[in-house]
Amino acid sequence: MAVLGSTTYLEQRRYPKLLYVVAPLAALVLQAWLPRVVGQYAWFDLPLVITVYFALGRRSPVQGTIMGMIMGVFEDALTHRPIGINGIAKTVVGFLAASVGVRIAVENQTIRLLLNFLLSLLSSAIVVFVYRFLLGLDYQWQWFTELFSAIGNSLIAMVLFPVLDRLQIRD
Amino acid sequence: MESFFTRYRNLIVLLTILMVQIIGLAVQVRRTNEGRSTIDARDPASVRLIRLWAEGLVAPPEKIAHSSKMGLGWMWQNYVDLRHVREENAQLQEQVDRLRLAQASLLEDARQGQRLQAMLDFQHRYIYSTLAAQAIGSSGNLQSHVFYLDKGSNAGLKPDMAVITADGIVGKVRDVFPSTAQVLMINDQTSGAGVILETTRIRGILTGNASGQLEIVGILADERIKPGEKVLTAGGDLVYPRGLPVGVVDKVVRDPDRDAFIDVMIKPFARLDRLDEVLVITNMQTRLSPQDQQDIATSEAVKGEEAEAIKDQLKASEIMAEHLPGLIDPTLPPDQQPMLDNSNPTPVAHPPQALHPDRFTPGVNAAATAGTSPAQSEPQPDASKPGAPSTTKPSVKTRSNPGAASPPAGTQRDQ
Repeated sequence: MAVLGSTTYLEQRRYPKLLYVVAPLAALVLQAWLPRVVGQYAWFDLPLVITVYFALGRRSPVQGTIMGMIMGVFEDALTHRPIGINGIAKTVVGFLAASVGVRIAVENQTIRLLLNFLLSLLSSAIVVFVYRFLLGLDYQWQWFTELFSAIGNSLIAMVLFPVLDRLQIRD
Repeated sequence: MESFFTRYRNLIVLLTILMVQIIGLAVQVRRTNEGRSTIDARDPASVRLIRLWAEGLVAPPEKIAHSSKMGLGWMWQNYVDLRHVREENAQLQEQVDRLRLAQASLLEDARQGQRLQAMLDFQHRYIYSTLAAQAIGSSGNLQSHVFYLDKGSNAGLKPDMAVITADGIVGKVRDVFPSTAQVLMINDQTSGAGVILETTRIRGILTGNASGQLEIVGILADERIKPGEKVLTAGGDLVYPRGLPVGVVDKVVRDPDRDAFIDVMIKPFARLDRLDEVLVITNMQTRLSPQDQQDIATSEAVKGEEAEAIKDQLKASEIMAEHLPGLIDPTLPPDQQPMLDNSNPTPVAHPPQALHPDRFTPGVNAAATAGTSPAQSEPQPDASKPGAPSTTKPSVKTRSNPGAASPPAGTQRDQ
């Protein structure tokens, strides 16, 4: 029960302002560049990992929502698909991650990994839902690719989150 | 009222942002007359603006990363990995010579084909000019097979230009920005290219599936389609010129939706997941480019020189034949050749007959010569026993009449 706590007692993390620009930008650039290096094994979604991290750390659903929207829209803009599909998925993910962060102490690494895994799967499900049911487009997908992506995101989060934790401003 | 917005602020922000994006999606997707949803090939101005911002944000770091990678690669290739360059150069030179000869020999066929096409009023379009470009980045999405080039409208690129490598086709330019361009790869689900199977001449539409594999869809089941058959562009889609290599048939599977149809899985020639340098076909004409014409002229000249060299060699051999005595006279009929003439002062020498022939003497032991084991050629032990039925010993027969020895194994088998 140690992980549960009231909103009042859970502190809102603060980071250098530059990090709010550099980290998302680096995530977008690496997400676009790394698949050229690793080829078809690009089972990760760095913008999603960054969205989850800042949403959990800041514990502000509004900020998480906006950050998710920006990351998703920019991700969509680099594809040839309609803009807004990843935007919707990451908006929901940012909102949910921040809402969970408000209620749960998410400093525990296992909880973070589990959240990353589940939110990655949720994001994939929302993308498929929007494509097939909201837009009625013909969209083929493979469940194991989405599963591998969720695992990949969790592994990246396991390494990246402690690094980003060190950059937060402490009183 | 104020307390309502304060209380549900988070939810209101979420719903507002979601609603804006859903409306934005509705603008980009439209319904066809058949009732199917589709995406416009060209983005609306507002969407294009967002793409331009995203590309402007991501492309400069990508270019820097790509330049660094290429710089390291260049250093490696130019300073470290220079071994065997001379040998490679010689091999390539030989290859170029061979290709020139092949090109020259095919030229007549090509010209005949052109004449026939002209008679049929069919105009073939040749690759007139290309532009080399570097692939600098991708979409970052496994379901969107696009990549970005380091050249854009400033370099003369336009949408729907074909992108190829030396191995095969890669895709087409989808969107063009001032200094970059987005290329839609042939293995994307929304891609399409007209192709033809080289041997069976079956035509189809090449597209990609969910896992990024190439497949030709909408083909009626045909047993003639076998793995390994080459696939070429058909040239009817106004993007890819006819006859460019695409890949080979990997396997044939049943169409899951339609019983009578099959999907032909294709293994592409171009390495779509490891693209660095590509060529963009910037211009296609009904005539060959000056460079191609120059290459053909060179090939023709080389072929002429080769023919002259072969003619000289034949002439030299004829002169040599005149000066040297020969056993075969091309001017005489076969039964009057000098080698058959008994009055020839230097008859053909035959080896002397062996005084004590053994199994190594030519023609004595045909079975051994034919490769049979010594056990098979040796007389059976029972033959020497008293009372046993007499058996004919091949060696005895052979000694008395070598010509009547058992024929070679092959001949026996034939009989």
